[in-house]
Amino acid sequence: MGDSCVLTVAGVSKKFCATQPHSMYYGVRDVCCNILGMTADTNRLRPHEFWAVDEVTFTLKQGERLGLLGGNGSGKSTLLRLLAGIYQPDKGRIQVRGRVGALIALGAGFHPLLTGRENIFLNGSLLGMTTREIEQCFDQIVDFAAIGTFLDAPVKTYSSGMYVRLGFAVAIHSRPDLLLIDEVLAVGDSAFQNKCIGKVLELNRNGTAIIFVSHAIQAIERLCRSGLLLQQGTPVFQGEIRDCIQRYSNQLAQENLLDAPQPAPFGLGAVDISNADVFEEGSPSKNRSIPFGKNFVIRFDYDFLQDSSHNTQVRVWIRTQDGRDVQRLTFQESPFNGEQRYGNVKVHRMQRSGTVQITVLSPRLFPQSFRIDVAIVPMDRSIHLGGLANAAVFNIVPPPADDRYFEYGNTTVTDFDYVVAVD
Amino acid sequence: MPISEEQAMYEPEQRIKLGFVRCWIEMITGIVQSRELIIQLFHRDMLAASKQSLLGIAWTWVSPLIGIASWLFLKHVGVLIPGKSDVPYPLFVLLGTTIWGVFMTVFASAASSLTANGNLIMHAKFSHQVLVAQQVSQASLSVAANILLLAAAFAFFGVSPQWTALFFPLTLVPLLLLGAGIGMIVSVLSVLVRDMTKVMTTLLGVLMFFTPVIYAPDAGNDVLHQLIRWKPLTYLIGGARDLLISGTIRDPQTYAGAVSFAMTVFLLSWRIFFISEQKVAEKA
Repeated sequence: MGDSCVLTVAGVSKKFCATQPHSMYYGVRDVCCNILGMTADTNRLRPHEFWAVDEVTFTLKQGERLGLLGGNGSGKSTLLRLLAGIYQPDKGRIQVRGRVGALIALGAGFHPLLTGRENIFLNGSLLGMTTREIEQCFDQIVDFAAIGTFLDAPVKTYSSGMYVRLGFAVAIHSRPDLLLIDEVLAVGDSAFQNKCIGKVLELNRNGTAIIFVSHAIQAIERLCRSGLLLQQGTPVFQGEIRDCIQRYSNQLAQENLLDAPQPAPFGLGAVDISNADVFEEGSPSKNRSIPFGKNFVIRFDYDFLQDSSHNTQVRVWIRTQDGRDVQRLTFQESPFNGEQRYGNVKVHRMQRSGTVQITVLSPRLFPQSFRIDVAIVPMDRSIHLGGLANAAVFNIVPPPADDRYFEYGNTTVTDFDYVVAVD
Repeated sequence: MPISEEQAMYEPEQRIKLGFVRCWIEMITGIVQSRELIIQLFHRDMLAASKQSLLGIAWTWVSPLIGIASWLFLKHVGVLIPGKSDVPYPLFVLLGTTIWGVFMTVFASAASSLTANGNLIMHAKFSHQVLVAQQVSQASLSVAANILLLAAAFAFFGVSPQWTALFFPLTLVPLLLLGAGIGMIVSVLSVLVRDMTKVMTTLLGVLMFFTPVIYAPDAGNDVLHQLIRWKPLTYLIGGARDLLISGTIRDPQTYAGAVSFAMTVFLLSWRIFFISEQKVAEKA
């Protein structure tokens, strides 16, 4: 280990057992081995076991900031617990120099009946602080947590925000050389989050190395300089944080395509909408991962099941995966009141059945996953003759080898133009 | 900021690879270095027990008093024939159950040390021996409370114990060690098989009836005598009681053997606990 190296992780793996009876059996067998003075065989998988973390290797120097990225179940929290010494590795070796502060669950060991004051001492000792050290920074802890007159009230009377603030305040004042942060900053209001990030960065300026786990990509990007991407326990990328985030976003986008929600019809059922698809314009493979800024095509078939005397309007909503409206595209069968009153109204005559193809031109959609909902609405009534929610899912991905800066998670969109074709 | 002196290394099976002497050094230094945490956890449970509770620690006295009342009743109606004793029967029972209680209380506390703290174990890194130490000190406090009750009972019945009674607390130490020893092994196993604690508590509860706790060692027939003869607990409990009532230990050599047995069980169990708890703690 070099002089400024605080953490060396060499080929570390951790396995778990997927079924409870086997877990009990292996546990008892391993303990019996130990009782008889033998080492248990940890470096191979037995039936029903799997690697939760597999062959992770990296080092961290003083003052470095590493972000751990990966989907649910990718092994981030397991790795963090291994680094904190809570789990024992099954393969490899972890060496830590200096004091480790683990913000894995804030307020671990808080007793609900004890007061904030009593819990500060308890929590501090758990983090390895001596009573003297706690006394020395007691006022700073109380100041930072901003719990005011609640200091001598039992913590069970605290709001969840106060609880987390107190836990964070104690942990941050233990003067760690390596700080492990697992999602905890997601709790608390944004003012406190900013205060926490500020404090973490201040510690970092004084040499504390940081490992940060979060699903909030913006927070990771703000806090970390390098990243480690895990997929099912295996490290798949390690490098500069933006590259790592880009890889992660692409990976998420692919997963979103595979795990798309089922299309759900809505409305009166007078029109059947089917074969909805979104793909890059001119892409022979109908690529659903569309590079940022490239034209894309929204296409679907329609079939009027009943004769309709209505003049109709077709609506297509582009939404984010969490359902926020990004843009609504519409076109009509006839202009308002039979006259072409609005210059930008796109008019197309629809058949009894056919295909609609909308080409979206130079869209400014930021990289992430989107879905579309489609509906056909009569001009004179606010009902849906037929519609399909979650009709199709597509991704906007950052262009390869582009060093443009993307603010991930944003959907800021300006009005964009589109061309409609109806057969 | 200079890096702190603290260092740590994590490897598979690292404790069993330590070797005999280094393992003992780590076990002892682990406890010494965590003394402040033990005090804090002890303090936490003391405070928590006294808050929102009318009787607080006085609850320790309720169970032995109810126990005596039942034994007295059984004796009064002629169901229980406890054999000869030098002190009034209620006092004899209180003494017996108090001494037995040391073993059982410490056993139960040690056995639950890992499973009762699963949340803490999953969220913070500390030496898990701390939990056993804290539980045992907690149990010792209730033992001390019971000794006070015992002193009051001696005064009430006008029995003055021998001067050797000053050594009485020392005779409880082997019982404490035996209870903690068995408890530590059970705590490791009960993380894996949850009903282990229940099984052992039930077994030990039954064991009490085959140990001269509420009756004198000479009570009953030959079958009972044979049964109680082979148990170290018989001598550990008898020794403590003899010292208080008659001032001497009836069979000092066998007593010394029983004490060595208790110490061996404790040391062996502590080592087994230290080596294997890391592997199971994550399942607590």
